[in-house]
Amino acid sequence: MEDIARFVVDYAGSLGSTYSEARIQKLVSRSTSIKNGEPQFSAFLTELGIGIRLIINGSLVFASTNELSKSNVTETVLTAATMARVAAETLRKPTVLSNVKTNRDKWEVQQKQKLTSVGMEDRLKLILEADKCFKPRRGVKFPARILTLSETINEQTFLNSEGTFITSKIPRIAFSYIVTAYSPGKGTVQRFNKKGASSGWEAVSAWNLIELASEEADILASILSEGRKPPKNVLDVVLGSEVVGIVSHESCGHPFEADRILGREAAAAGESFVSTEMLGKRIGSSQVTVVDDPTIPQSYGYNLYDDEGVKVRRRELIRRGIVNTFLHNRETSAELGIESNGAARTISYSREPIIRMSNTYMDRGDHRFEELLESIPKGVYIKSFMEWNIDDRRFSQRYVGLEAYLIKKGKLAHLVRNPVLEITTPRLYESVDAVGRDLSFTAATCGKGDPQQGAPVWTGGPDIRLRKVRLGGL
Amino acid sequence: MENSLASLAVREGKRGGADNVAATYVREDARMIRFANNEVTVSQSWRSTTICVMVSIRKKVAIGVIEDLSEGSMKQSISQLLKIAKTTRPNKNYVSLPAGPFKYRSPQAGLSVQSSNLVKYVKDAISSAVSSGADRVAGSLFFRSSSIGIETSAGASGNDSLSSLEISVRAFSGIEASGQSNSCARSEKDFHPEQAGKAAAEIAKKAVNPFEGKPGKYDVILGPNVVANLMNDVISAASAFNVDAGLSFMAGMLGKRVASKSLTLVDDGTLSDGLNSRAFDDEGVPTQKTIVIKNGVLQSFLHNSSTAKKFGRRSTANAGWIVPQPWNIIVERGGASEEGLFSDLDNGIFITNNWYTRFQNYRTGDFSTVCRDGIFRVADGEIVQSLKGLRISENLPRLLRNISCLSDKQYWVKWWEVEFPTLTPYVLVKDVNLTKSLE
Repeated sequence: MEDIARFVVDYAGSLGSTYSEARIQKLVSRSTSIKNGEPQFSAFLTELGIGIRLIINGSLVFASTNELSKSNVTETVLTAATMARVAAETLRKPTVLSNVKTNRDKWEVQQKQKLTSVGMEDRLKLILEADKCFKPRRGVKFPARILTLSETINEQTFLNSEGTFITSKIPRIAFSYIVTAYSPGKGTVQRFNKKGASSGWEAVSAWNLIELASEEADILASILSEGRKPPKNVLDVVLGSEVVGIVSHESCGHPFEADRILGREAAAAGESFVSTEMLGKRIGSSQVTVVDDPTIPQSYGYNLYDDEGVKVRRRELIRRGIVNTFLHNRETSAELGIESNGAARTISYSREPIIRMSNTYMDRGDHRFEELLESIPKGVYIKSFMEWNIDDRRFSQRYVGLEAYLIKKGKLAHLVRNPVLEITTPRLYESVDAVGRDLSFTAATCGKGDPQQGAPVWTGGPDIRLRKVRLGGL
Repeated sequence: MENSLASLAVREGKRGGADNVAATYVREDARMIRFANNEVTVSQSWRSTTICVMVSIRKKVAIGVIEDLSEGSMKQSISQLLKIAKTTRPNKNYVSLPAGPFKYRSPQAGLSVQSSNLVKYVKDAISSAVSSGADRVAGSLFFRSSSIGIETSAGASGNDSLSSLEISVRAFSGIEASGQSNSCARSEKDFHPEQAGKAAAEIAKKAVNPFEGKPGKYDVILGPNVVANLMNDVISAASAFNVDAGLSFMAGMLGKRVASKSLTLVDDGTLSDGLNSRAFDDEGVPTQKTIVIKNGVLQSFLHNSSTAKKFGRRSTANAGWIVPQPWNIIVERGGASEEGLFSDLDNGIFITNNWYTRFQNYRTGDFSTVCRDGIFRVADGEIVQSLKGLRISENLPRLLRNISCLSDKQYWVKWWEVEFPTLTPYVLVKDVNLTKSLE
């Protein structure tokens, strides 16, 4: 494969490109799904192709093909070069990439137990066992369930005209489910959840799917049978790790993507309420530190190099309430005259690398969970969520709690159903007055790009306390 | 060449012991030009051939997507797929592929567009928006020319082509005011990027200096973008797989009222100007027009052969081997002119676009979606104020029942937030719950 990549870079150079890169990617994925306890299908996907980026006359172009003959690859590069030249006429300023260190490396995520060592039969057996945990209890049934176990093994060769040459192999495994619980007279609740890791089968063993499903069934039954109406006024709210994760992802990670800030994603994914002038300014209380870190071992968003061949690093987006840094690729960092911090990602050979999060979380504080509750006379603890959304400048967001409790005199009193937190980003981060000490993560698929690219990420955080916010809803 | 690859997949599948094999191929040449801040940011092109294969062995089903297409790799992939099928367990609801051969209409005409023309279309959209008052213009133009085909072990064999031009334009006037519009067509003569640019800019201009919206229940006019987004979710709820999986508010509602009498909703894979029209579905059944909701009453779910058997119906030619999918979604026009629709609104809200529709519960249809771009207060039929910060927080069945009136002109919508092409008019809905965030 290296020879094809090298041919592309050399050929692009002969056509007048000032920068070129070739990324050959082989993606093999397997998945198996069951619906209501019945096997549906197993799937197998093999993807092998090349993604190419060139800059000619200051114009950036991306091209891809899965037909790797020399003649077809040549034609693909030629088409790309033509498009670059034609589009260059519209440019007011050329595309420039920031200078970066060249890297040469070969690496892979080590698997204690190789994913390929576990057959489809055993996988199916495991999720069928997990599904059996959703037995009726306390008058609650689970009439609709979909459980899916899937893996991808991504082997990649990256080479660019500056001398960077990296080969890598990342196995990823994920388990997801959507379950409906129903009780006559109480209605339904639905739960979607996902576990994910860059790892071998040992991650699945650690998840303990049977215990996970059993706990999920118990809590869904409790929500339906015991959940009461939540209060709807201004009070203190404790958000659980799962909710803090989505908050950190949606209202810090996304608005801190420099391509949004500079307008490049304005058409679809949107812009940002954050501007470059806000660097160094306060955006939240001093309790708030939000991090995006691709280097967490076994994390779902793990990588050592981004998809521009830049060494990745931990990035503190908000440090103690202050806007600290943005997520950058080589294009946005050049525009702001700084170094790239390695946030360019792509999900396939057929997609351009763009700025993406990896594992985004609020950093831990020093409070035990009981300490977060003890000073609250009346409040709500929202442990998990189902519905959420946020506007395209990432300013106004909504989270609807799934597992949630009334807090009374510093203790959890009883379950409440569907508390709605609808709040602006600054108000949310300003309201944080205490942060828990236990950090945990949830797997998710982040959407961005045109065409869409669903990227594997972790979202996470500890439990946090918000003072005097309003709960609303229908 | 692609037909022969699909045939090879079917032959290899049968040789390896499968009792049903279906193989589809897609040969795609596509290009996209993305633009922002009034200039091109990146040009993209794709050349790919993909073979999708479904095999079943005694109801044990495996599905493969193969992009490594050398004959050796193809055979290896099919062998792997058969191995996976053998080691899975039977899907009790699976039924054999429908017996062909089938007679299909002639393949649709392809479309060829030069890269220089694509750039010209982008320039047209940007200059039209700027001359209509936009400060900044962003968007994407997408052109595809694909040939598709199918071979099945039950005797289906056919091919078709899919071509389309799509542009989505977002115009900005200042920081907080924006408008979005699009044009999509199967031919260059029906493609109007300059009109999309102008329409986006006109919304953006009206949207300047927005006031904070006030939460409450309002009569609301939903523009075509919003209707298209929500109707994609309605059609998804009509997919028999989702009904069976507990992910639909329409379960148990066949023959019953699910919307106001004003709403008729159709899926049509046969439309000559439909962006996603195809001669056959993934089981080789000739596509058709399916009335999903007629005058507010649920008529049919979308089916493949297996879901049809389970529901005691006939396939509606919407396979998806596992999940039935729509082709082109049509919201039938109403009787009111657009002007008439607005003049009927004494005091309400006009929402031009939305995004990020998420469900609290697919079974009940509780959801919210964020209003985006121009949001306007309407009084006595006139736009009187630009608003911001509102969210539709509703129940989808209730919203459908509260549809009051539809306009008499339809628009094609397909963009980032609208996956399946949708032809729709403006829609007036009564008593829509709008919420906003705590500042």
